[in-house]
Amino acid sequence: MKVTQSAKEKTKLKILNAAVDLITIKGFENASLREIAKSAGVSNPTIYNYFPTKQKLLYAYIEQKHKEAIEAISKIEGFDNFSFREQLQSLIESELELYLEDREFVTQIADMVFSNSGLKINLLYDTNKEFIEVVKEMLEVAIEANEFEPIPFSEHLPLLLWDYYIMVVSYWLKDDSENFENTTEFIDHSLALIESILRSDIISKASTLGSFLFKRHILSSLNKFTSTKSHFDGIKKRLTKVFDNE
Amino acid sequence: MNNIPTSKIGRGAVVGKAAVKIGLKKSKRAIFGGDKKQNNEEIADIIFEALSHLKGVSVKIAQHIALGMPFLPDEIVDKISKSFNQITPINRALIRKIIKTELGSYPEEIFEEFELEPFAAASLGQVHKAKYKGKEYAIKVQYPGIGKSINSDMAMLKGVLKLFAKGDRIEHVVKEVEDRLKEELDYTKEAKNYDYFREQNGNSNIIIPKIEHSLSTKRVLAVEFLDGLSLDEFFQSNPSQEQINFYANLILKNFFETLHSKAHTIHADPNPGNFLFLKNSKLAIIDFGCIKSVSQEFLKDYSLLHQLLIERADDKEIVPIYERLNMIKEPTKEKALNYYQEVIKPLDRIYIEPLFSDNFDFKDSNFSKRGFEAIKEVQNKQYTTVGNASEEILFLDRSLLGYYAMFEKMGAKIDGKAIKEIIINYNGINL
Repeated sequence: MKVTQSAKEKTKLKILNAAVDLITIKGFENASLREIAKSAGVSNPTIYNYFPTKQKLLYAYIEQKHKEAIEAISKIEGFDNFSFREQLQSLIESELELYLEDREFVTQIADMVFSNSGLKINLLYDTNKEFIEVVKEMLEVAIEANEFEPIPFSEHLPLLLWDYYIMVVSYWLKDDSENFENTTEFIDHSLALIESILRSDIISKASTLGSFLFKRHILSSLNKFTSTKSHFDGIKKRLTKVFDNE
Repeated sequence: MNNIPTSKIGRGAVVGKAAVKIGLKKSKRAIFGGDKKQNNEEIADIIFEALSHLKGVSVKIAQHIALGMPFLPDEIVDKISKSFNQITPINRALIRKIIKTELGSYPEEIFEEFELEPFAAASLGQVHKAKYKGKEYAIKVQYPGIGKSINSDMAMLKGVLKLFAKGDRIEHVVKEVEDRLKEELDYTKEAKNYDYFREQNGNSNIIIPKIEHSLSTKRVLAVEFLDGLSLDEFFQSNPSQEQINFYANLILKNFFETLHSKAHTIHADPNPGNFLFLKNSKLAIIDFGCIKSVSQEFLKDYSLLHQLLIERADDKEIVPIYERLNMIKEPTKEKALNYYQEVIKPLDRIYIEPLFSDNFDFKDSNFSKRGFEAIKEVQNKQYTTVGNASEEILFLDRSLLGYYAMFEKMGAKIDGKAIKEIIINYNGINL
């Protein structure tokens, strides 16, 4: 059983790698599943068995990178002693590092997500399970270790942080500074802010006015970020719900 | 695709906030009168609060300000000095990321050991202890993006400092500090400086650590780790007066030796943190981010000037040299002589004093205090020359005064004989 599982995993990775290469060269629209199967050295039925549609391939890619990033950070010596911020920062940096060699491919995904294509951002949410779970765990440990006071809405926090992570990836894709230095800085500064918010009692004291200001701030920065704002409506709606404590 | 928002709002806001608060303090004092010293302390608190938001750059700025702007109230210089050790550290996640970006692999893949927690702050970054091929290293890591923050940091600091300074003196100092900082951004330059000073070093008591070039880039510098004491630790070890004197004289002699060596270049960062007191009367010099070269032409005049000053030559002999050095630019001979006697001489007298005697005791000398008072006094004199001082002279004098301040703190006795010998020897060969 175990052998089959790992064999399955191997085939999946083979297909994913072939897909990344082919889509990078030909573009998402022009690369067919048939060609990807050929390039990966698997049969047509096999590829359809793994990935019924091309879009499923993209989602699987994102999930795969989450898995690899989590594996990478779990190998860091002393990771357990890292602060919540350091753990999250390591996770996000590891993801970007994995994306680096596939940057053009990831750019294509992002372009599709943020423009009018068949790829819906809502569907991207289905890929975030691994990320959410590991962040949730980090957060629980941090609270247990008294790094933070218990945080209201903490059940929403991992999801918010995933939204934040999507923002970081979008930023990184547009970053043309040397060694993506601007992104490194952006992550460092924004996580410092997130950390200080979590440590302060801003959230628990969130009065109507406070949450209103905070909400306005976050939502307007989201607007600035996207060229077509309609696709962020989902995120906005969910953020609004969180802030309004619905 | 390249519309990355590199906003200055964060920094600007901090600065703006500080400036507004200071404005309030000032007007409060104007209205209510009040204790000037206490007010200065409050203002210092506010500046410090603003500086602490600005990461490593402010440390460097503070060092230069303390030396370059004696007109600032003492309480404020104190406060700024304290910010030396108050930089927000680069966290463990970011350190791994920077090493990976700069050296190609994560620290644990390159080094046998790498401490993710820094053991010291450094110019524009922090220092980590590491082991590589069996040897210990101090790895200096630069804070990412600090290059970009220099401009906005300096602009804001200029605004704050202007509240205290009259006239244009600020621009000059701030510009120079800015240039220095930008030079220090590239650690490969510093690596070359280390190599250069090590090759030139003829004093067996001075140690310049080795650089591991394969682990050094623009933003990472791998320096051989030397197990020595900082100045504070050295004092805690209860050194004898002889030991204190020995080290102070070694430092001063090294300054003049390197200045008069082939390349006339000095280590121009007279900060106690740049020295390590080793066993067996050895002294290590670290941090070569800030060095200064002067031209041979300048050095000839400078040395001649010092010989004349030490020999207490007539003012009329000294003035023409100061004119050649661009320190005096007055329309008539008479005015030049007056300017020398009223402005430069009182300052010279103080700073040349330790070189006059063979036994100058910095202990209880009130050296800095007298120096600052003299500077304050001459600032009120009206001359056309003011503000046009020679950059080289200012730099050397400032470095020297920095060392003196350190000797004062150490309570050291200085033997000017060795320095006189270096200067006279140089003049004998070159004049």
